[in-house]
Amino acid sequence: MFEHVLSVIIFLPILAGVLLLVTPVSRNIARATGLIISLATLILSIDLYAGFAATGHLEFVEHLPWIPSLGISYYLGIDGISLFILMAASVLLPMVYLVFTTKERGYYANLLIVQGAMAGAVCAGDMILFYIFWEIMLLPVFFMLGLYGGPKRLPATLKITLYTIAGSLLMLAAIVYLGVSYHSQFNEWNFAIEKMAQLNLTGRVAVLAFFGFMIAFAIKIPLFPFHTWLPDAYTEAPTATTFVLSAIMAKIGVYGVIRFVVPVFDEQFARFAILLAYSGVIGMMYCGLAAIAQKDFKRMLAFSSASHMGIIALGVFCMNVQALTGSIYQIVAHATSTGVLFLFAGILEERTQTRTIADLGGIASKAPIFALFFAIAMLASVGLPGTSGFIGEFMIILGAVKFNAAIGVLAGTALIIGVCYMLWMFQRVFFEKTNAVSENFKDLSLVEGLTFLPVIILILVMGIYPQPFLSKITPSAALQFSQNAAVVAQTGTTNALLPELTIEQK
Amino acid sequence: MEQSVNYLGLIPLFPLLGAVVIGLLHVFASDKVKLPEKFYGLLACVGPVLSFILALKVFIALKALPVDSRNLSHIVFTWFSVGDLHINMGFLADPLSCLMLLFVTFIGSLIHIYSIGYMSGDKNYGKFFAYMNLFLGSMLVLVLGDSPVVMFVGWEGVGLCSYLLISFYSEDRNNVLAGNKAFIVNRIGDLGFVLGMAFLFWAIGAQGFGFIALKSHAAQLTGATSLLVCLLLFVGATGKSAQIPLYVWLPDAMAGPTPVSALIHAATMVTAGVYMVARFSFIYAPVELAGNIIAWVGILTALLAAIFGMYQDDIKKILAYSTVSQLGYMFAGVGVAAYSAGIFHVFTHAFFKALLFLGAGSVIYALHHEQNIWKMGGLKSKMPKTYITMVIGALALAGCPPFSGFFSKDEILYSALATGHFGIWMVGVLVAGMTAFYTFRMIFLVFHGTPRDQKAFDHAQESPNVMTVPLIILAVGALFAGFLNLPGIFGGSQMVSHWLAPSLTEHHPHASLFLEILAIGTSILAFVIGIKIAYSKFGQGATEPAFKGFANFAYHKFYVDELYNAIIVQPYKAIGASIWKTIDPNVTDGPVKAASKLYMTIGTAFKVFQVGYVRIYAIYMIVGLSLMTLFLSQSLN
Amino acid sequence: MIHNYLFLSCILFCLGIVGVISRRNVFTVFMSIELMLNAANLAFVTFSRIHESMDGHVLAMMVMAVAAAEAALALAVVILLHKHKSKLDTNVFSLLKG
Repeated sequence: MFEHVLSVIIFLPILAGVLLLVTPVSRNIARATGLIISLATLILSIDLYAGFAATGHLEFVEHLPWIPSLGISYYLGIDGISLFILMAASVLLPMVYLVFTTKERGYYANLLIVQGAMAGAVCAGDMILFYIFWEIMLLPVFFMLGLYGGPKRLPATLKITLYTIAGSLLMLAAIVYLGVSYHSQFNEWNFAIEKMAQLNLTGRVAVLAFFGFMIAFAIKIPLFPFHTWLPDAYTEAPTATTFVLSAIMAKIGVYGVIRFVVPVFDEQFARFAILLAYSGVIGMMYCGLAAIAQKDFKRMLAFSSASHMGIIALGVFCMNVQALTGSIYQIVAHATSTGVLFLFAGILEERTQTRTIADLGGIASKAPIFALFFAIAMLASVGLPGTSGFIGEFMIILGAVKFNAAIGVLAGTALIIGVCYMLWMFQRVFFEKTNAVSENFKDLSLVEGLTFLPVIILILVMGIYPQPFLSKITPSAALQFSQNAAVVAQTGTTNALLPELTIEQK
Repeated sequence: MEQSVNYLGLIPLFPLLGAVVIGLLHVFASDKVKLPEKFYGLLACVGPVLSFILALKVFIALKALPVDSRNLSHIVFTWFSVGDLHINMGFLADPLSCLMLLFVTFIGSLIHIYSIGYMSGDKNYGKFFAYMNLFLGSMLVLVLGDSPVVMFVGWEGVGLCSYLLISFYSEDRNNVLAGNKAFIVNRIGDLGFVLGMAFLFWAIGAQGFGFIALKSHAAQLTGATSLLVCLLLFVGATGKSAQIPLYVWLPDAMAGPTPVSALIHAATMVTAGVYMVARFSFIYAPVELAGNIIAWVGILTALLAAIFGMYQDDIKKILAYSTVSQLGYMFAGVGVAAYSAGIFHVFTHAFFKALLFLGAGSVIYALHHEQNIWKMGGLKSKMPKTYITMVIGALALAGCPPFSGFFSKDEILYSALATGHFGIWMVGVLVAGMTAFYTFRMIFLVFHGTPRDQKAFDHAQESPNVMTVPLIILAVGALFAGFLNLPGIFGGSQMVSHWLAPSLTEHHPHASLFLEILAIGTSILAFVIGIKIAYSKFGQGATEPAFKGFANFAYHKFYVDELYNAIIVQPYKAIGASIWKTIDPNVTDGPVKAASKLYMTIGTAFKVFQVGYVRIYAIYMIVGLSLMTLFLSQSLN
Repeated sequence: MIHNYLFLSCILFCLGIVGVISRRNVFTVFMSIELMLNAANLAFVTFSRIHESMDGHVLAMMVMAVAAAEAALALAVVILLHKHKSKLDTNVFSLLKG
């Protein structure tokens, strides 16, 4: 463990990516570089994880003045919430280089840059720094989607870029507002996130700023009704990009809500939580229903991912520690299950040259190991107990019931909706008779099998023995609520919308 | 209060480990080295048998404890703990779970042995046993779980295995669809279970969410909340135990191999709902309304399923409906707060229904997978062992004294009568008669009369010992299990009820000799009438009738599947399609598209100024500059 | 009397504008621009004289230098344009039409 470990985790991939872009190396060397760098990051992250003390506050802090006249600093640190997103990125990304071997040099370079930027966004303790990493994150996605995507990639690229930038600009305005408010209230320039919690924000502008942040994050998550960029982008993007988008980048949106909106805009959050919660739960049902109508399995998974993100976001909006912890846990669980499902979909597409569900069939008999892995990831995605998906989902539903009984009941339907489309897809792709397309389907090779094995094991371990993970999350999650009593106090009034369904404590 | 032991966790662990080992062997080794079938079969039997031995150990240990503190607990690790929510991966053995444990492992072991014979020659032999072991492990988690959440793990686990085993012959689309249906319908029930747990937790779970802690705080549950919790949990039970309105999956579940039907869809998993209600008896007992709802749902399910059962022609479907019907009885029992009677019926039912299914499997095996009873007949002489054991099972199911089913069913009907639920009792007696009728309709058509399909009949022969020995053992159970809970009127001591008493919150109604004789008398009468009608119609050989009117309606199960399809499945799909095709691109994406359209319009409007001639641009410039100068000179003055 | 120089400058400038707007030959347009530059120069020098400061002279020299440089560039551009389309009519070069 050394002092600037976070900086290394962030800038090692970015530098390597930039270097790859400017040097004319072959694609194999590029892939090898990517693999080595991402493995190095993984080792550093594991070291970080081992050294993490779960105090609830930021750890591994690096604090250097950057623009002192405005109080902007190079401020990094992680707590139990960001740690898990960082870990998910570090654990999952090396797989991409092992599984997809035939991409261009620039593609691997972009993957490296996006990895560094995502790490930067979750580690940033300063709002301006966060904003910069947040914007850098989009850039490689733009190139990966626009240059290496499917046939309809250009409209998809345009849509995701414009959507995200629109959100980002609103966020930038809100950040400036926060900085200025801090200056006027404390007579000092500062953009450190934790300082903002001391702000006393009231009035109409504060509500606007709140929505500035919320919309930026809602677009990234994506939260209903800001999800319309998602199906096209997820479907047209190359598999690894979809994987990055769904498994990690979407989570940074949720992370943003937890980090910025909940502590800073406590009053506004408590006031609008019910609205946001409905948005989350409706998004879950809406995307889940849309998923059943899909003929393309990648697009189906895209809607499934959006559906899950709805319930993860709901966990944040429920304002109790069970739901929030469940939400953070579900972030990792979803990254492992849906992320891996996207990779499997990529493998299916690569081997069969089709994305249409109806074209496939009987793959389970041709590729039992692939089917087994797929089934485990699928079951985690539908939240079966014993897999990682259950713990988070259960706690979110539990917390949602406490927050508002009607929302709790609606959230519970996630249990049913997910199963409907997943089983249907599994039936059509893996069961039934084999046909000409699936006849020669090859099972996972040894390298592929060994690549996925750790994640599959992680899915099971996270379901069977989650407490070691939870014990790192809980202090940070609990701190979110101890910091501002107003949020918790307000919960009672939001619940009053449906008093007859709300049950009394004791 | 409770004693800590360290072996409870091993009971589910053995079959689970077995599942992992067999599964991995099947997936990774089956291509390279062809392992003999017997190897898989024997390996699969190790787990259940070890579990059974441990279950006996648990029984002995519990027996040694004083009656009021018969609780063994084993906390393996803290499963998850956040805020007030504290869930242990813990197991609890009390008299209730011990009883379940004993017969689940016992019947499970027998069915594993039987499967060695039944599944021989199947190319997915290893997979089958992996699933079976996984199922048994999940079932044991369900039974032993010390909190609702751990119970839910098993609850979902058995649902998964049920899905996997129903769609076992996955090349046929219908089987997979039946599996999907089972999983989805179960999930609807599970939604109720999860919500019930959530409400229960926020009401009384903060001080501990284990069954023992919940029981000690149950008094704090207020009226509305406890009714809500009861009903939500019961929704879970209707899904798992195939009650109205979620019973539709069970008959379709017969697509799986027959031992699966016996183990999962008759003896163990489907009774989990009854077990759960009994487990929560401390919540259900004070809420009479919830009990009444459960009892009525149960007895109406029993009636409905019995009607369907009378008109089916697939031997497994008949047994499936009889299972639904018997489950209805069990719920009627727990609904009228006679928990021990309900659980006792679960216990006896496991024996005779497993026996009937395995017998049916033996017949199907002999006839090369023919399941239509109108193509059977006269098998009595060809398969004597199967015939005798099946008749014993049928008599137990039909409620003939002194077979086990008679005592347990009578106990439920008597409890209904004694607690004043006359309607339930009367329907129950009617269903008893119908049960006798359809059971013996099946027996007569399969074993008596003359063969209807001579070719199949000629090839039929008695099944191997590995299949008939479990039949005989189960037949012994079906014969004598009833004596374990012999009521006082026959000089018995109600051993099972007394054994279960510490786990259950129930009040035994005052024994009334008159009511008891009334209940027994009407039961026997119903049985006799039912069997007499069956004999007169089918005893001498009959031909397949063409169903008309009500019979046709019942043969098609009142078109409930079609109804569900029309009012739930199709609208669901239509909504999905309309969201994807219409709502998402037009409504949700509308503002975004409108914004881009706005920019397009403005751009097009300004395009006219962009003429492309330099001279014109010069004019714009000059006009602009002039205006600026004018404006500046104005404002400076 | 010195104000007459300013009127002259004004007239020259307007002539330049009219030239730029009305003529289509690239060379004529270019010459008109030069005329406008010189009109500005004349104004600079006149004002310099009126205020008795050398600033105007400096700027006038500056403009002349820039105009020379501009002429060099512009002639090169004109040659390229001619090579491209073989015409020097400004209306031919209307690629920026929306």
